[in-house]
Amino acid sequence: MTGMGIISAIGNTVAENRTSLVEGKCGITPLEMFPSKFWGKIPVGEIKISTEALKEKLNVQEHGITRTTLLALHAIEEALADSQLTNTQLSSFDTALIGASTVGGMCLTDEMYRDSQKDTPGSEYLSSYDYGAVNMYLQKRYSMKGAVNTIHTACSSSANAIMYGARLIRSGRARRAIVGGVDSLAKFTINGFNSLRILSPEVCTPFDEDRKGLNLGEGAAFLVLEKESDVTGKKIHATLTGYCNANDAFHASSLSEEGEGPYRVMKDALSNAKLDAAEIDFINAHGTATENNDQVESVAMLRLFEKVPAFASTKSYTGHTLGAAGAVEALYSILNLTGQELFPGLHFKKPIPRLGLEPVQAHKKTPLTHIMSNSFGFGGNCSSLIFSKA
Amino acid sequence: MFYIHQTSCISPQQTFRDIDINTLHEPVEKKLFAIEPSYEGIPAGVLRRMGKSVRMGVGATMPIFQNYPKADGIIIGSASSGKDDCIKFLNQIIDYDEGMLTPMNFVQSTPNALAAQIGLLTNNHGYNITHLHLGLSFEFAMIDADMMLHENPSHSYLLGAVDDISTHNYYFEDKGGWYKKEVISNKVLYESISPGSIAGEAATVFLVNKTQTASLAKVLAVDSLHSEDEMVLKEKLQDFLKKNLPAGEKIDLLLTGENGDHRLMKYYSTCESQLRDVTIARFKHMSGEYPTATAMGLWLCCEILKKQNIPQHMIKKDASISNYKNMLMYNNFKGMQHSFVLLSN
Repeated sequence: MTGMGIISAIGNTVAENRTSLVEGKCGITPLEMFPSKFWGKIPVGEIKISTEALKEKLNVQEHGITRTTLLALHAIEEALADSQLTNTQLSSFDTALIGASTVGGMCLTDEMYRDSQKDTPGSEYLSSYDYGAVNMYLQKRYSMKGAVNTIHTACSSSANAIMYGARLIRSGRARRAIVGGVDSLAKFTINGFNSLRILSPEVCTPFDEDRKGLNLGEGAAFLVLEKESDVTGKKIHATLTGYCNANDAFHASSLSEEGEGPYRVMKDALSNAKLDAAEIDFINAHGTATENNDQVESVAMLRLFEKVPAFASTKSYTGHTLGAAGAVEALYSILNLTGQELFPGLHFKKPIPRLGLEPVQAHKKTPLTHIMSNSFGFGGNCSSLIFSKA
Repeated sequence: MFYIHQTSCISPQQTFRDIDINTLHEPVEKKLFAIEPSYEGIPAGVLRRMGKSVRMGVGATMPIFQNYPKADGIIIGSASSGKDDCIKFLNQIIDYDEGMLTPMNFVQSTPNALAAQIGLLTNNHGYNITHLHLGLSFEFAMIDADMMLHENPSHSYLLGAVDDISTHNYYFEDKGGWYKKEVISNKVLYESISPGSIAGEAATVFLVNKTQTASLAKVLAVDSLHSEDEMVLKEKLQDFLKKNLPAGEKIDLLLTGENGDHRLMKYYSTCESQLRDVTIARFKHMSGEYPTATAMGLWLCCEILKKQNIPQHMIKKDASISNYKNMLMYNNFKGMQHSFVLLSN
């Protein structure tokens, strides 16, 4: 992993994100960036830069570019600069771009509604609603000729984008892969999660007994993965050593009581990395702060680990960034490794009864070698990644 | 490289039961709708709640699942699955002014719903993924299956694709200029010199693994390209064949995704000019245009390999080949995305 870039509610760069994590600074505030009935009411992890300002900052002049695409571009520019990939490398047949987004151009909820009606003229956004539109723009911007793909496994999408990129490299189909995910806040998802009654009216409290649901967030994070033999002399942030994707096969929008999917992915990611459970130093949990997720994830951790390692959910800083969450949290896991430090989980008060698990609650410098990052999604789509110290 | 063992396809043609691909079914108002079966074996209550793409996808999976209940994972390509529910939920948001909405459309709007539903109905805890990169969604699913089988040579996977014509989705594509303005029969689709094609839909599912014995076809290689430049296409295609076509072998059949859109002809001509003494056939008059149409193309390749017979209405150029062995499928999506699939018996 030779490059990383991120934009989220707690910072526009990797460095800003790290500072917020060290200081325990939460980015969740009442919705204010777009008009909605929920304006000023529900807490969200917003990036306080307008879409117009993003366009200007990134020098984007094309028509039909959505906020989702701009956030992705913002993060990817930082990742590319960090890994120092040349333009020739970027546009070669063996450089892949694997991204994920579950909102795509649907952030333009009202425009999409108008364009879906029979007798309206098409807007400039007609081809932007597609989930793949973000990567189509990036492909064109960087003249990429290698594999460019978009993956959807709901809230674990970008964890699978990271895996797919790594597997393209392992199989010899690519020498380097830019991998990650993006989602922006949208009326579509706010209303969707509200209809499921899993939006918290307050700032979310992962793994707390009295948790009231999740907060939505927006963000983008991208990582540059390169073949081990190509990176001699380059700065290496971390190594992706293990991964697994499995299905809970229980329900469309909730996890099984015994956490079969979460248990399997953590267990098989360990065997993929050839590690024992006891070697995991920290888990960046999925930890959405819904009743169902935190209960089930805890049960699965207790099933797998004789002694549950230190863990926390960074969704208490950023909200749930959906299709970006896997990549955002992979990047935070890498920051754990590069800084040899743990960041506190926020807003936790009391452990869930009978489970008794307490997330990390203070910033702490400590030796760390292997970190696990969990992502679970609708449709039972579970994934787990393991990053190791370079 | 992997082998195809079972195939199942619900499409606008007679591909599901009593297969007959010689008779061509025609579109209704520029739309080639799938001929849906009665879906025996799926509980009625479950069936009623499914959107069309999930219903067709599950329906196409069932015959394979019945023969092979223990697949190790589910790999789906779909660019538009769930769009219909997505727009329905959007309508709820607008109509009820962000009030108390029912979550069913929202839950079903996620494009991973088909892979998830198959996992749920077949109690499959294995690898489960959905690729949705426009006209390369199925190709990246194929590459995924290829990599999974390389990593786990004893495994078998359900590899599938689905896309459906929904009312609203049709408007997006129509306004974007991807369907013809004039009403046209699929019998004369390729004579057309106007932009756009006709809409189509299908669900196609394959059982794939590394076992050669009793296989229907061998997928030698799959690759993709994003470019609007024919010269880049030419370079990529030459490189693809050099790398993947075994020495001494030649392509017998080129199956292309030509779709009656005159703007894309330069890409198909570029591809055709790279191959000599080859029969050229087309399939979009059977499938219609949709992002994962190549899955039906692959299904047709398996049929042709098995029966060694190509329906007359598919043939563009007949090279009088007595035995079809090596096939190349080339597809272009909206002038931006190219795909190459090389297969053999």
